[in-house]
Formats: sequence, structure tokens, C-alpha cells
Amino acid sequence: MRRTRTGWLLLAPSMIILFVVGIVPFIYVLYVGFFDWNLFSASREMTFNGVNNYRQLVFDPLFLDAIWVTIRFTFFAVVSQLIIGFFLAQLLLRDFPGKSFFRTIHTVPLMIAPIAIGAIWRLLTIPGFGPIPYLLDRWFDFEFNIGNNATQAFLAIVIMDIWHWTPFVTLTMLAGLSALPAEPREAAQVDGANSWQIFRFITLPQMQPVVLTVLFIRIMDGLRTVDEINMLTNGGGPGTSTRTIGIHIFRVVFPQTDYGYGSAMSLLTLYLTIVACWFLFVSLTAVRKR
Amino acid sequence: MSDQDSIHHPVEHEVEDDRPHLLPIYTNMFDRVFISVVIMVAIHLFWLRFLEVYLSLYVATIISLVVGYIIIRRG
Repeated sequence: MRRTRTGWLLLAPSMIILFVVGIVPFIYVLYVGFFDWNLFSASREMTFNGVNNYRQLVFDPLFLDAIWVTIRFTFFAVVSQLIIGFFLAQLLLRDFPGKSFFRTIHTVPLMIAPIAIGAIWRLLTIPGFGPIPYLLDRWFDFEFNIGNNATQAFLAIVIMDIWHWTPFVTLTMLAGLSALPAEPREAAQVDGANSWQIFRFITLPQMQPVVLTVLFIRIMDGLRTVDEINMLTNGGGPGTSTRTIGIHIFRVVFPQTDYGYGSAMSLLTLYLTIVACWFLFVSLTAVRKR
Repeated sequence: MSDQDSIHHPVEHEVEDDRPHLLPIYTNMFDRVFISVVIMVAIHLFWLRFLEVYLSLYVATIISLVVGYIIIRRG
């Protein structure tokens, strides 16, 4: 009994912090989501409007388009990061000249703030000034302009995210691969398994917890990316081709001060993130009934 | 099996449960409540988008409560 009380006492500070910074804001956003609250409206007071914000939300083409952009962005970025990160981790397991230097250089993007990443890529890709459009035009006679081409702008934000976050995936995968026991792989080699079979039936199942963790962290990050895309494409342009949910919520909540509608959108985004991660988790780990 | 083995390898009992289940995976109570809430929100959003013109949103609430109860009891 006394040990239990001590345990709760030791847990209390972190639970109080979690409650204050996690649960209370969530409940407040849930509450505000049912109100009409806009500082620019005739009445600046909070007015209860039931599910009107959600009713407006499911018909809002800009919001639905932002969801679609975010899902596409997250899918392409995360899948690429996982594949590239895994192969780089395999590469870094072996010894080669300059390995330490490559590992350090490769990790540099992780240390840069997302807003600075956006600024760097903006300088790299800005039409008429950046080296990427200049070199593409000079070498391949290819016009690269993220200011007026939606596909190229989308490609640019995906590549920027891959460049920024692949080192995180690589380092995590490298830690996971380094910790794997060698015996199952050696036994498979003795039994005559080829590289693909060893990867598919030995390495991948053993790496499942690491892959799942990285996958969830990256999906959650991808779904809430705002600053670097906002910086690179100047708020989701051209048009709304790179306007993710985060940017859309930012534009509704801050310049338009529509707090009620912004809260409803934030909650729906949280809902989509939780459901996506849960489906992925269940499909990869759940025990099926016979 | 020695006492030492039984500590490290507890006997696993296979429980036969003849009740028909709705969900294709093994779940605990928290999972079932979570699934019920997720389905409740999904039904309401779907209703708001496509069916509210024909039927009141209260119908969606009743349907989702019934679905949630069934999932929690027989998931």
C-alpha cells in the first residue's frame, strides 16, 4: 500500500504537467469547436452554435482539398523516407572510407529549424535566382518554377521533407539494425537463404517495432507540417496546391480570427491522425481471430 | 516442469469463447470504447455531409449509440 502511494507520488508531477499541457487544451478546443467565436464578427462574444462548425467543415472545399494535399504529401514523403532511410542505415552498417564524415554531414539537416529549412529551399528553388531552376534549365532545358507550376511545387515540398527527415529515419533504423542478434541471420545463411529471403523473413520482422515507431512519428509529423512548407511556397501556393491542413488552419485562425471554426478543423485533424495511426498499428500488429 | 521454469514460462490457457464476435481482431475494453467513439464521429460526419438533408442528425446519434453498445458488448 505504501509502495503504491509512493509510486503515485512520484508519477504525480508528470501527470499534472501532462494534464495541464495536454488534456486541458484538448478539452478547451473541444468546447470552443461548438461555438461561433470570431473577433471580427458583429458580436465578439462566444455564441453556442451546436455542430454548425462541423456542418460547415464537411462542405468546405478548401478544407477538404487541404486534407487531400496533406494525405498525399505525408504518403509520398514518409514512404520515401522509410525506403531511403533503411538503405542508408544498411549502408552505414558497413565500413567504407569517409563513413564518419558522411554520417555527420548526413545528420546536419536534423539540426536545422524547420523555418530555416524552408528558407534554404526557397533560396534554392526561387525562379530566376535559385541554383536548382538555373541548372535544370541550363543542363536539361527544363523549366522548373514552383511559383506557377502546382506539380513542381508539390514535388519540391516532398523532396524538402525527405531531405530534412531522412537522417532521423536512418539513425533510428541504424540503432535498430545494430541491436539485432546475428544468430538468426547466420542460421538462415547456413540454411541457404538468399539476401532477399533474409531481409524479408529475418531482418524485417525483427525490425518491426523500430519501423512502426518511426512510421508513427513521421506520419504524425507529416500530417501537422506547417512552417517549412509555409516558408517555401509562401503559404501553400501556387493557388492551394501545397496548402496542408496546418497551413489552412493557421490562415483561418490567425488572419481571420475564426477561433470556433479553427478549433473544429483542429479537432478533425487530430481525429484523422489518430484514426490513421490506429488503423496502421492494428493492421500491422493486431492478432486476428480465427 | 520445475518451479523455476513455471515462473519464467507461465502456462497459457486457451479460452474458448463461443460468442459470435463482430470485430476481426482481439480487443480489450479500451479498444472497443475507442473504436465506438471513432465510429460515432465518422457516422456523424458522414451524416452531416450526405444524409442530413433527408434525416435529422439525432438519427445518426441513435444509430451510433446502438453500434457503440453492440461493439462494446460483443466486439
